[in-house]
Amino acid sequence: MADGPLRGVRVLDLTHVWAGPLGVRVLADLGAEVIKVEAPFGRGPRDIVDTPLGGWLWGDPGTEAWNRNAMFLKLMRNRRGLCIDLKAAAGRATFLELVAGADVVIENFSARAMPDLGLGYESLRAVNPRIVYVSLTGYGSAGPYQDRVAFGPTVEPLSGLGSLLGYGPGESRCTTMALLDPIAALSAAAAVVTALRRRADTGRGARVELSLQEGGVSFSGPWLLEHQLGGSVQPRGNRHPAMAPHGVYPCAGDDRWIAIGCADDAQWRALCTVIGGDLDPDADLALRTAHHDAIDATIARWTRGRDKHEAATCLQAAGVPAGPVNTAPDMLADAQAIYRQFFVPLEEHMPVPGNPVKMAGLTSADWTPCPKLGADNATVLRDWLGYDDTRIDDLQRQGILADRPPA
Amino acid sequence: MPERILEIGEFAAGYCGRLFAQTGQDVVRIEPGTPAPGWVGRQASDLYLHAGKRRIATRDRDLIAALAREADVVVAEAATADELTALGFDAWPTPVKVAITPFGRTGPKRNWHATPHVLLAMGGYTQLMGDPDRAPLSLPGHYAEFQSGQYAYVAANACRLADESAAIDIGMFETLMSLSQFTVMQWLCKNEIRGRHGNELWAVCPSSLYRLRDGAAYVNIVPAFWDAFTVFIDRPELLIDERFATNDLRMAHREALQTVVAEAMAAMTRAEVIARSEALRIPAGVLQTLDEVLEDEQLGAREFWQSVETPGGRAVRSPALPWRVDGTPYPPLRLTEAERDHG
Repeated sequence: MADGPLRGVRVLDLTHVWAGPLGVRVLADLGAEVIKVEAPFGRGPRDIVDTPLGGWLWGDPGTEAWNRNAMFLKLMRNRRGLCIDLKAAAGRATFLELVAGADVVIENFSARAMPDLGLGYESLRAVNPRIVYVSLTGYGSAGPYQDRVAFGPTVEPLSGLGSLLGYGPGESRCTTMALLDPIAALSAAAAVVTALRRRADTGRGARVELSLQEGGVSFSGPWLLEHQLGGSVQPRGNRHPAMAPHGVYPCAGDDRWIAIGCADDAQWRALCTVIGGDLDPDADLALRTAHHDAIDATIARWTRGRDKHEAATCLQAAGVPAGPVNTAPDMLADAQAIYRQFFVPLEEHMPVPGNPVKMAGLTSADWTPCPKLGADNATVLRDWLGYDDTRIDDLQRQGILADRPPA
Repeated sequence: MPERILEIGEFAAGYCGRLFAQTGQDVVRIEPGTPAPGWVGRQASDLYLHAGKRRIATRDRDLIAALAREADVVVAEAATADELTALGFDAWPTPVKVAITPFGRTGPKRNWHATPHVLLAMGGYTQLMGDPDRAPLSLPGHYAEFQSGQYAYVAANACRLADESAAIDIGMFETLMSLSQFTVMQWLCKNEIRGRHGNELWAVCPSSLYRLRDGAAYVNIVPAFWDAFTVFIDRPELLIDERFATNDLRMAHREALQTVVAEAMAAMTRAEVIARSEALRIPAGVLQTLDEVLEDEQLGAREFWQSVETPGGRAVRSPALPWRVDGTPYPPLRLTEAERDHG
């Protein structure tokens, strides 16, 4: 488990898919003591039906495929695992005992899931008035959309982003990467520390609520204000309303690209020095914007014959913002990422994206990989609740605890 | 008693400061001499980011250092590592200091210059957006900065909660890579480079934005929803079609399936998509314009909007914080003019 400023903060993590687990990972990387509470079928069935989105760890499902979903493993580091059936009365009773000793419970089920289990906020608060309960849903736990099924990609069109991302008016595109999930993830982590600090001041627990929709709309805030103030908002392809040039240009090779932008006149003059051609170093922003097509063509003539990494290095040396459009292998090989040890060899030495928060006392050297399903059942119940082996064995025999999916 | 937060910088520090201001802290913002180019006009940007803060327009390093001495937290954003050092960051005795730069304070690219779209390109996002036969699309807006601001807020509060002093170093390039979906895993575990597929997620089928009779809607049919989806589009016969029995098979026969789904969706209206998706519990969402977002029924019912007043007295609607504690709505805010020099 990681050490860090959140050491001693006990989190019960009931999250699944992406937003919730990612938000909890942020807390775990900062030292929170996290127990991953999951159902026996929480990692999928015992027998393989489909390949998971990110594949199997090192491409091998092994004999316990449910423990080798690469995307799941990437999200679940620095936790201990408790596999418990919350649909059974004994499972719920044990869970409520854990809640009594926890600081935070976080879940991202549908709005009605926890109340239907008898584990809504009021039930948890009854056993622990200081609990911080975090609910992350698609649209919120109340309101006309509360029961809609939601994933990041299906909520994104309701966020306003569709008015902004695209090749131009009438050619909107989606991010296709469920962008609302990582937004909500970090907002959830921010909400947790906010509520914990309030509790430190007041002694009161809290019910914290987030939704994918509100997170996405929040990030669209500047455009929503601009629109109300009468400004023009529309997809601009790769152009920028206040920078020129600003684009993505072809480089040597198949599907190789470089992003280049000039935020001020000095960077424009530097670009002119490197690229030369017919570019006018004295052109101001208005002139550059008016002649963006011609400038793009000149830049593309220069980039087209060059390697994307070499072109970026050359432009950066002159002070021009430029960077290659990176693929996964590009990022893994990036000199900056390597220097700062960003990728951490964690799951059977497979590199996983690290923590962007760098500070003294935070290191990935003490990170632990994702626990196998139910791997810490006994130790969690022993450490947190003082259960003895007989009681734990009894729960195991009843099927309340599990370490593999049902057959 | 509110903590004193000193904010220096543009969109990342600004977003971090916004979170502090909205949660009741006393935020003092140092306005930059030359504002960085934003995606919207200055007034819209200021209303969104800086309402509820006190603002000082100064470049006086001694004054900034004096403010830092009195602050509990400093969040400082700079264009490069050297620019941050030149601010005097290392000398400030503030208990918690957060530095936000494009690439972090160490490493061979610490002084590389970046716009948001350069960071998105290097962070692996641009490669994934747009059409396969066209240039990749960059994500408009300040995603890299706002997410870095969120990291800064979490880390600073964690340190304050623990009563620990810290100098925190956040690189926006790493922020982006840390939040990637499965791009790196797909390469390492499936030996596949994730690419662009228009509006399709490409790992799940069907998952795309489909045209409707009167608009467009995204559906994302992960395996658990496949059976109900065949009813949703009135094509129950697909359920017994062996080509579509699993997601792997649906991906293998995606062209045939997408043709059927696109045709079925094109016959539906937005209202039908909403009604059917609610009845059959299908993950679907209709594309909304900005006007429709501002009038969205759910956001209205949840009192999501916060009134923000311009210095001239005009009130507009701004998104409140994306989280709510104990159901308490956020109060109206006002944007004040920046004071000059001796605020």
